[in-house]
Amino acid sequence: MREETVTTDVLVVGGGIAGLMAAIRAAELGTRVVLVEKANTLRSGAGATGNDHFMCYIPEYHGPDIEPWIDQSPMIQERGNIRSRHYVRTLMEKSFDIVKLWDSWGIPMKPTGKWECTGHTIPGFPNLATLKYAGQNQKPILTREARDRGVEIVNRVTVFDLLQDDSGVYGAIGTGTWEEKVVVFRAGSVVLTTGICTRLYPGPTPGWMFNMADPPSTTGEGRAMAYRAGAELVSMEMPRRWAGPKYFARCGKGTWIGVVRDHEDKPVGPYVTEPDRRYGDVIGDQFASLFEERMRDGRGPVYMDCRGISEEDYAYMMWGLSNEGNSATINHINEEGIDIRKNPVEFMTYELSTRGGILFNEKGETSLDGLFAAGDEYFGGIGGAAVVGWFAGDNSARRAGNIGRPVADRTDPQMEEKSTLPDRIRSREAGATWQEVSAALTQVMHDYAGAVRSESLLRAGLTHLLRLKQTAYNQVIATNQHELMHCLEVLSLFDVGESVFLSALERKETREDYVRADYPFKDRRYDDRVVICKKENGQPRTEWRKVK
Amino acid sequence: MPPVIDKDKCIACGVCVTICPQDVFWGSEERQIPMVSYGEECWHCNACVLECPGEGAIRLRIPLPAQICYK
Repeated sequence: MREETVTTDVLVVGGGIAGLMAAIRAAELGTRVVLVEKANTLRSGAGATGNDHFMCYIPEYHGPDIEPWIDQSPMIQERGNIRSRHYVRTLMEKSFDIVKLWDSWGIPMKPTGKWECTGHTIPGFPNLATLKYAGQNQKPILTREARDRGVEIVNRVTVFDLLQDDSGVYGAIGTGTWEEKVVVFRAGSVVLTTGICTRLYPGPTPGWMFNMADPPSTTGEGRAMAYRAGAELVSMEMPRRWAGPKYFARCGKGTWIGVVRDHEDKPVGPYVTEPDRRYGDVIGDQFASLFEERMRDGRGPVYMDCRGISEEDYAYMMWGLSNEGNSATINHINEEGIDIRKNPVEFMTYELSTRGGILFNEKGETSLDGLFAAGDEYFGGIGGAAVVGWFAGDNSARRAGNIGRPVADRTDPQMEEKSTLPDRIRSREAGATWQEVSAALTQVMHDYAGAVRSESLLRAGLTHLLRLKQTAYNQVIATNQHELMHCLEVLSLFDVGESVFLSALERKETREDYVRADYPFKDRRYDDRVVICKKENGQPRTEWRKVK
Repeated sequence: MPPVIDKDKCIACGVCVTICPQDVFWGSEERQIPMVSYGEECWHCNACVLECPGEGAIRLRIPLPAQICYK
């Protein structure tokens, strides 16, 4: 495969919300910015055709005191000590500036004419400061803003490894998903913004592997690349469950205005008894696995029941669904003749994933020099992606201007091995397809690091996973660049899976939906701590760390 | 296989090929009616339907295992 070299100040890997915001800010500061994206930034990532619920603090809407809104933040409320208070405050303080910026660019942030935070709310309690906005065209708009500032966007190139020497990270290596080429990116600093990690576990439909709650193009390469390079990962053992319509897998239940009811029409949760746009029904947020549990124990199925919704709230919900990337769901509902004012829609618990990711701070800094990360590399959400993406762009640009060593002179000792991987996979005449490798990986993740874990399961599963990984590296084949992209994705997922196993072995307790059969109780010593997993001198290790 | 192209309405502009996040139309030629090479990889994000300049030239056929359950 022919090789190209691209040299820049800041390299952004992944063109979702966080990546585009990082690129926009870094370019504003006068640095050369290259953004590389495996699809096309116009419609890629978890925000491809829309999002809603932008976490932010708007003084004129929320009131002058920011503190209660920090307390209500999903990043504080979520399981597993997602973030420090300092991180959340920094994000929230900046968030309104970014909201106003988006609005000025043409992303309608108050489409009803006023600031409105609805859904995900317990009646009588403050909401989670999640702004309803109209995100359907956010990606074309952010792409335009990046281009206007001189960002060079390289689409249809998938990055699969970082370049580093003894001074830190200085670039990355990718391959074309359309063109047969290897691209070596040399940069002063690198920002990873590759998004959520899907396809680590089997989805709702066995044998139909792209029916996933989150976009199946986001497969955790950022986490895998960072882990291989020695960066710290955090909370990888914590499960991420979500729920939504069965079997049309799609996150976004916060927009549904209904009551979660059982088959006898009894509300499952204590919060609401009739549809109300202000609240939704947060029982599905708090216990996303309830739908799965009730199928297992025979008390299912469970429905999202919108019967009794006002016409005004119905119109609002349909508008909300179309703006958060669910326009295909609406088309399907209409084509099938489903009227959700009359027909309760069954909900299900979607596939497992990890809540964890790359440890980065409010500046976007990771534990490695030259490497930044933002967004869903670790629980970003839309607001987190937009704001911390902006911070990561700001700081990576400043760092790129201060490295004092030309990137052209730097050499990764593993360069040969990394740059020849695409050719090695493409040149094999027989071996395992990426689908075969993916089936083996998701099977072992489901069986040994699934909903219930234990020392014996985790040890046996990890041993098998590592054997599979070795075999996969030696045997996986691709007949074209599209298949090659999937091969590289699934190889990266093995590293993500490894870190899940190792981190789960470290967490010897049961905490909400993290279940260890051999340690059935919550260990309060871990209340303010997280599990860190990283490689040191090529060897993985884990440790507990206090969240400051 | 989700995207279904109406060959009579498609103007072969290639927008869907350019933007598809799953690269379902991989290998399509410029100024030709797109091929659906990897339809089973469609995530039903609807980007192609939203961006298509031709009214009704492309639609998604939701596969049977993804049909919504309701009562």
